[in-house]
Amino acid sequence: MVAGFLAVALASYAAGIGLSAVASAPRREHLQGIAGWVLAAGWLAHLGAVVAQGVSTGRLPLASLPEYLLVLGWVVLGLHLLVWFRSRIAAGALVLAPLAFALGLVALLWPGRPAALPPAQLRGLFLVHTTSSTLGMACVAVAFAMSLIYLLQDRALKARNRPRILRFLPSLDSSDRIGHLALLWGFPLLTVGVVTGGLWSAEVHNRFWVGGPKQTFPVLAWGVLGIVLYSRIVQGFTGRRSAYLTIFGFALGLLTVLGMTT
Amino acid sequence: MLVLAGLNHRSAPLALRERLAFPEAAIPGALARLVRIESVEEAVVLSTCNRVEVVAWAPAGQPVAARLRAFLSEESGVPAADLARHGYEFEGLAALRHTLQVACGLDSMVLGEPQILGQLRRAYLVAVEAGAAGPNLRRLFPRLLAAARRIRRETGLSRRALSVGHAAVALARKIFGDLRGRAVLVLGSGKMAELAARQLAAHGAAGLAVASRTYSHALELAERTGGTAVAWEEAPAFLRKADVVVTATGAPEPVLRKSDVQQAMRARRNRPLFIVDMAVPRDVEESVNELERVYVYDMDALHGAVDSELEKQRHAAESALRLIEAELPALGRIWQAREVVPTIVALRDRLHEVGRKELDRLRHKLGPLSPRQEEAVRELAYAIIQKVLHRPVRHLKGAAANGSLEDLERLYREIFDLPRAASEEGTEASPVCGRTRGVSGEGLAR
Repeated sequence: MVAGFLAVALASYAAGIGLSAVASAPRREHLQGIAGWVLAAGWLAHLGAVVAQGVSTGRLPLASLPEYLLVLGWVVLGLHLLVWFRSRIAAGALVLAPLAFALGLVALLWPGRPAALPPAQLRGLFLVHTTSSTLGMACVAVAFAMSLIYLLQDRALKARNRPRILRFLPSLDSSDRIGHLALLWGFPLLTVGVVTGGLWSAEVHNRFWVGGPKQTFPVLAWGVLGIVLYSRIVQGFTGRRSAYLTIFGFALGLLTVLGMTT
Repeated sequence: MLVLAGLNHRSAPLALRERLAFPEAAIPGALARLVRIESVEEAVVLSTCNRVEVVAWAPAGQPVAARLRAFLSEESGVPAADLARHGYEFEGLAALRHTLQVACGLDSMVLGEPQILGQLRRAYLVAVEAGAAGPNLRRLFPRLLAAARRIRRETGLSRRALSVGHAAVALARKIFGDLRGRAVLVLGSGKMAELAARQLAAHGAAGLAVASRTYSHALELAERTGGTAVAWEEAPAFLRKADVVVTATGAPEPVLRKSDVQQAMRARRNRPLFIVDMAVPRDVEESVNELERVYVYDMDALHGAVDSELEKQRHAAESALRLIEAELPALGRIWQAREVVPTIVALRDRLHEVGRKELDRLRHKLGPLSPRQEEAVRELAYAIIQKVLHRPVRHLKGAAANGSLEDLERLYREIFDLPRAASEEGTEASPVCGRTRGVSGEGLAR
């Protein structure tokens, strides 16, 4: 059931990504709308997979790594659709949709039965921790995509001879603005995730800090993104370096996954 | 024959074009020097941001194109070898075709842009005023400009024309998204600056500030565009506020240096700055583009940046090219007919001279003829000459239309031992033999 929904979602994503790529060519812009709707259809199927997983296990589907990837992919694509509907930025389809596709694919192909946490731990603090971490990470994924787009756009503008890339990408201002907005949402959510994670660890392991990639990488990512946000808001420090740091922060956040396999 | 030498944005880098560009005030002087060149009878100099071209009128068979190139090299100090590598030369119909393409905006950086037609017209008027455009160019240019206008209209090139101003607006939107409320600083008060400022204002840009070395010029431009004039010394302060800077001064040295912009960027907390440099030579130091969040577009860069309407415009350009080909023979005839006239006249003179001599000999032999006999003999000679002339004349005119006149002309002159024409004007005005039989046959009567 879950696999069926997810397969449909992934097929739609693949089609949507392909259409978006074609739509970036001159005189094919009208395909952008279709690509958006195909991705939206995939997103609904993805939702079906998330719900089916929840129903079949009878709990919030965030107790194992594949479940986390499944939900993260769904939220990431949902945020892409939100950005697309509100700001008409279609270029995200070539960053966020492949990301959601990859996350969904790993979840689909995960070998064997994943080790889920004992049900006794899946309450209260843990739910807050996983939910806010997942949402925060999805927001950071949007910031990452916008940083990537920003860098591409900046490079194309500097090179002064890339009209095709320029036409497909949003304006510098909008990628910068939406990336900033995504960080404004993502950072507090990540903060809650990191703090509740520590508290939960204290509850389960009697230690606030247990170390290991599961705790180290999120804290590092949180620190890096905190620096980005601080320098943006307080020092007005935007541009390329800010974009590079955001990408770095997102990469650190993804590395957390390494810790979740154990 | 029309001869053209020059270079444009495609053939030469901006750095080279900058060195060749003629300041407006220097053009009359350059024209005077041009027409002193051997065989150059008339000339027009077209110097815009994207091209420098010298169009000259000269007799065929002279190495005039090379002399024009040497002239450009002398005027600019650019080595002739560089000009040979980055320039182009056209003669005859090819020169005419090129000039028409330029006039239609087909050779422009922004395909079909309308400004070039006005610039070409102005270049021609300057040449007329300076006395460098003589009867040939004065005949050719108005027709050429009219043909270009018609072609632009018929193909729709003018409707979709994408000016450099449009390109600047499109780029500004790629940086800022929305231009509403964005502050614009204009440095210089040239026509290009005005057009760009108008375009930006039409898209919602606000707070237009105009600075020019001559304050009154800034004041005038500000008045026309609804902005505020700023003293030149105050411009750096406005650099801190502006989102878009348009420069179009005639200054020989850059007016915006890296250090200035760097300083301004610190004060603006790294908000992006878009600089459109429409001046040739450039107003903005090349290295300014290296600064973060600063995007400098000079004329070359504006070219590469816009392709949205280009596809449609290309179709229009293709049909314009076809129309130009259709237009060429008619325009070419204006001067080709004039070129062939001396040969035809010389040929006619030669044959009538032979006729006259033979008639004299006949009179000598036969003694005085009665008026009726005299007329009959004269008519006979005239009819034979005209019949004999008919095909060669048609042949020559045909060759002129095909552009293969030169060899044929030489052949005719050799065969009939024709003198070299002194001047077209003179020979054309004195037909030896009247065209209507019996009415003015003085050539034979004497």
